[in-house]
Amino acid sequence: MNTERGDNSKSGKLADILYRAAIQTAVVSGIFLLIIVSLLLLNFYKGIIIEPRLEEQWEQLKTEVRNKPKDEELLSRVRELDLEMRTNRVRQDDSSRRGGYLLLGGLAVFLVSLKGSVQLRKKLPRPEKQVDVRGLQVRELIWGRRAATVVLIVLGSWLLIVAFLPALDFGRTIFVVALYPSMDEIARNWPRFRGPEGAGISAYNNVPTEWDGKTGKNILWKSKVPLPGHSSPVVWGDRVYVSGANEESQQIFCFDVFSGALLWDGSLVNPGAVSGEPLELNEDTAGYAAPTPVTDGRRVCTIFPTGDIGCFDFNGRLLWSRNFGLPDSIYGYASSLEMYQDMILIQYDQGYAEDEKSKVIALDFQTGRTVWETKRSVSSSWTSPIVVQIDNEFQYITCSNPFVIGYDPKSGEEIWRVECLGPDLAPSAIYANGLVFAIEPFTALYAIRTKVKGDFRVAEIVWMGEDGIPDITSPLSNGQLLLLLTTYGTLTCYDITDEASDKDRVNNQERIRPKLWEQELDMEFNASASLVGDKLYLLSTKGVMIIARAGRSYKEIGRCELGEECYASPAFADGRIYIRGVENLYCIGNKD
Amino acid sequence: MRQLRSIVILLVLPLIVTTDSFGAERFPPPDFESGHELPVTTVPSPRQSFYEYIDLGVLVAAIGVASYLALRRRSRRGLFVLTVFSLLYFGFWRKGCICPIGAIQNITMSIFDSSYAAPLFVLGFFLVPLVSTLFFGRTFCAAVCPLGAVQDLVLVRPVSVPGWLEKSLRLLAYVYLGAAVLFAATGSAFIICRYDPFVSIFRLSGNLSVLILAGCFLLAGMFIGRPYCRFLCPYGVILRQLSRISRFRVTITPDDCIHCRLCEDACPFGAIKKPTVEWPAKSYSKNKRLLGLLIVALPVFVLAGGWLGGSAKHIAAKVNWRVRLAERIYLEDRGQVEGTTDASDAFRATGEDVNELYSEAYAIRRKLGIGGWIVGGFLGLVAGLKLVGLSIRKNRVDYEADAGECLSCGRCFSYCPREHARLERMRQEAS
Amino acid sequence: MEKNNRGDVSRRSFLRDGLFGGSLAGLGALGGLVFNKTKAANTVWQIDPYVCIACGNCATYCVLEESAVKCVHAFAMCGYCDLCSGFLEPEPRELDSGAENELCPAGAIQRRFVEDPYYEYTIDESLCNGCGKCVKGCNAFGNGSLFLQVRHDRCLNCNECSIAAACPSGAFKRVPADKPYILKEAKHE
Repeated sequence: MNTERGDNSKSGKLADILYRAAIQTAVVSGIFLLIIVSLLLLNFYKGIIIEPRLEEQWEQLKTEVRNKPKDEELLSRVRELDLEMRTNRVRQDDSSRRGGYLLLGGLAVFLVSLKGSVQLRKKLPRPEKQVDVRGLQVRELIWGRRAATVVLIVLGSWLLIVAFLPALDFGRTIFVVALYPSMDEIARNWPRFRGPEGAGISAYNNVPTEWDGKTGKNILWKSKVPLPGHSSPVVWGDRVYVSGANEESQQIFCFDVFSGALLWDGSLVNPGAVSGEPLELNEDTAGYAAPTPVTDGRRVCTIFPTGDIGCFDFNGRLLWSRNFGLPDSIYGYASSLEMYQDMILIQYDQGYAEDEKSKVIALDFQTGRTVWETKRSVSSSWTSPIVVQIDNEFQYITCSNPFVIGYDPKSGEEIWRVECLGPDLAPSAIYANGLVFAIEPFTALYAIRTKVKGDFRVAEIVWMGEDGIPDITSPLSNGQLLLLLTTYGTLTCYDITDEASDKDRVNNQERIRPKLWEQELDMEFNASASLVGDKLYLLSTKGVMIIARAGRSYKEIGRCELGEECYASPAFADGRIYIRGVENLYCIGNKD
Repeated sequence: MRQLRSIVILLVLPLIVTTDSFGAERFPPPDFESGHELPVTTVPSPRQSFYEYIDLGVLVAAIGVASYLALRRRSRRGLFVLTVFSLLYFGFWRKGCICPIGAIQNITMSIFDSSYAAPLFVLGFFLVPLVSTLFFGRTFCAAVCPLGAVQDLVLVRPVSVPGWLEKSLRLLAYVYLGAAVLFAATGSAFIICRYDPFVSIFRLSGNLSVLILAGCFLLAGMFIGRPYCRFLCPYGVILRQLSRISRFRVTITPDDCIHCRLCEDACPFGAIKKPTVEWPAKSYSKNKRLLGLLIVALPVFVLAGGWLGGSAKHIAAKVNWRVRLAERIYLEDRGQVEGTTDASDAFRATGEDVNELYSEAYAIRRKLGIGGWIVGGFLGLVAGLKLVGLSIRKNRVDYEADAGECLSCGRCFSYCPREHARLERMRQEAS
Repeated sequence: MEKNNRGDVSRRSFLRDGLFGGSLAGLGALGGLVFNKTKAANTVWQIDPYVCIACGNCATYCVLEESAVKCVHAFAMCGYCDLCSGFLEPEPRELDSGAENELCPAGAIQRRFVEDPYYEYTIDESLCNGCGKCVKGCNAFGNGSLFLQVRHDRCLNCNECSIAAACPSGAFKRVPADKPYILKEAKHE
């Protein structure tokens, strides 16, 4: 008996010692775990709190050091801060990793000791006296059903709430948001240089015929355009876009048509600014922002003489930008953009014909990816292309030296060409009365007809005019009369109907049409003429708009002074005229 | 320096004119005069697929050993050692991925998504524990599953969960399974992987909320036995049903039950069921009426569940990133939300048609609607059957480990005097 | 009573066996259904560099402390410029590797002079954190030869990649394990 008790007490004592040791280890490792966890949390929050503060400091110091590049002390502070930030990050990573391992080890020790202590204190099972087993089992089931029902009700009501939460309805039927505007939409807006088809004809007759820049009569608003340029404004809906640039920056500005507020401006990086080799364009050239942008209401695309082209959506987000390399153009690249369906069409003429550097390019309006590209052996030109519908077929017509070429805008395939033009081309073509009119500066006006011959389309010069040929402005026609405006103020009118051909003078193969009338206006004009109903709107470089009747004789209606120099052609919208002066954009409309 | 830079740019610009495809280099790669050789971009290869099949082999072997230890040898100690091994191998070495629980999603996606094909070993990971459970009961859960292993080893002081609470909380596992299958079938998300509480322990890293979740589960697991296994594991839902019809199963006693009651509190997971007693006549007839009502009401449960599941499709769809993108673009274009996100900017830059995105989102919603009806109906059926089960008197004569609940851990063996008798007999035979 | 019991038992065991056989057959059918589509090889995660917008999520969303995504360099595409827009901040103070000039917050890009006027840029993967700032700079003004890739000596190949779930442009794809990289290639004639 004694030995038994002695044995029991010995093993009992051992168990006690072990138990106490286990508990103590558990407590110690538990405390250790808590310490590690708090250290890890501290480490984590240090990262969250300290790092942003250091980052702020870093940004500040970086800009400072850039402004003061010679300051050695600032430089060393910047470098020290950078080292500190990097060391912090590495240390934080190391600490958390080490902490993780310590945590794991501590947890293992903690669990082992805790479980060991539980095991050591394990008692023999001693089931309690059973009372009313029957009732117990029945009650368990009842409670089980109730609890299950509660869980189901909770889940069900949550799902019920979810079911009645509003959800965005993308539409039972997918609404067809056209990827590109319809011809109607284009006709109602002023999406490109000289409006739809580059014709310079306003769709609205309700624009004012009187305004005054000095008194502000009929000037709805006037907003400063931050960067200069000769590009014309383009209008779509409630926005008007103007591009401007200088040797350092190239931007497009978006103004609100109602208030004239600058809604946003988008920049394209000027490679000259990056490389330190800016494009130098002096006064003899077309300037840094000569090409006019094009918009389809959803996006606006603009190109600059540096070869940078960029596209922004109507909210100002840059969709894409590309660079085709610096165009080799002695006056600075100036061709405006055209669009067709969901494509941007670029007339990229440069160098000499034999260099084979010129091409016409079609880009996807949304992504900027090249849809097609056609090389052409022409020299550089400063005309803008047009897309017009001839005989139920859309044609993309370009004037260049020496050819006038028509392409299929969908594929870039050449449809026809006529050799007639020469160097220094600036006036763009128009399409009127079934004829394409192209101008060779100071030399001739060509009326070109294209017709289908078998599988091909051929083009021929039907007649030409020799009077009052401009060198900058593009022609204007109402379908019966065609008007030319020279830089020095000579307005010449031709009758382009077929009936007028009996007055033509035939000289060898050439048919030369005399002018109908001519008028000296004693002003300089860079902006092309525009037509509103039966009225001509002629904008001189001094900012004076001469309004005259477009008829078989000249009749002036009025003159409106803006008080600012203007080189860009105006844009027309419903009840409004947008004129870009050298500094401001004016919105002219009836103020009542 | 500036001169060199400008020379480079001027030399390079004419070249740019001739190259114009979108991806071509702005600055053409140079031809080095010194004959400098370009270094090669290193491509360290991933773990060879061959090793995944080794893992599958280890899985098969481990399940085999676990089944042997649980059913034949009846050795709790052996199972404990195997549990530690599984934790170390499948947990810390393989970082808990890929696991049979997550494999449910891969298999579902394989079936419903034509663009995804699960690797063969994933199919193996999915099927092997199911087949073994069909034969041997939940021996996979006992000592092989790494998530189970963590919870098992963390268990210190089991608190018994009252039976009614246990039965009702178990419904959550069905919801988890249904949601996991639904989201995997539509390619929206792998929610089992996303909300796995223990994988962050195996990786020893994760973001703060995941680590806190792991901590909570560990803490809970110290007192509640295997909370994830019992109330949340979606794979366990399937294993439970298969285990109920398994060929062989763990029994508490090696031979006969002598009704000594010593094993009543042996199971930390509440899987030991007591013998049933005759009910009083009143509750018997009441329950019969209730049972009849519930069986008639089953279609109502199914329809209600289906409708609720189907109508949750708008919210469920938000889990899918394409739907979230479509909703964001929709709101931005209508000016109902300010600014843009990286995702909407990236989408607009691709030039994809917005209408196609909308129809894609619409199609996902529709799929989730149909799937929601099916899963909801299934959950309704489960709920109805659970209530039916809670109205039936089960006839049990001996103390048994519940066919579906028992995790084959073997803790109850040492509580049974018949087991001790068997061990004594084996010892005597050995000597 | 015994007979009834035995009858009960045999009926129940018949049901059990039936369900057993049915389940086995069901599992077999499921396996067969999926088996046709399975491949032997494992799939791993990879970034498509032509879709990636270098948003910076790769550095923060990886489950690992140190992201498994690193920047890699396609040397054949690089212009070797001394004004590298992936290495240098825009408008750097000086064209050198001063801390105020470098774009990389961890200083992981090493700049080495090769010959006049070319410099070689290599990435130290032990320092790179996958933030993508250099990728953004290189894509904007350079050749786009720097891009992000999942490095498979570090990646755990989670079943659902946390970065993939957070990628705003959907650039993460599952690729076969024997072709685990989508590298950019030089495109000039």
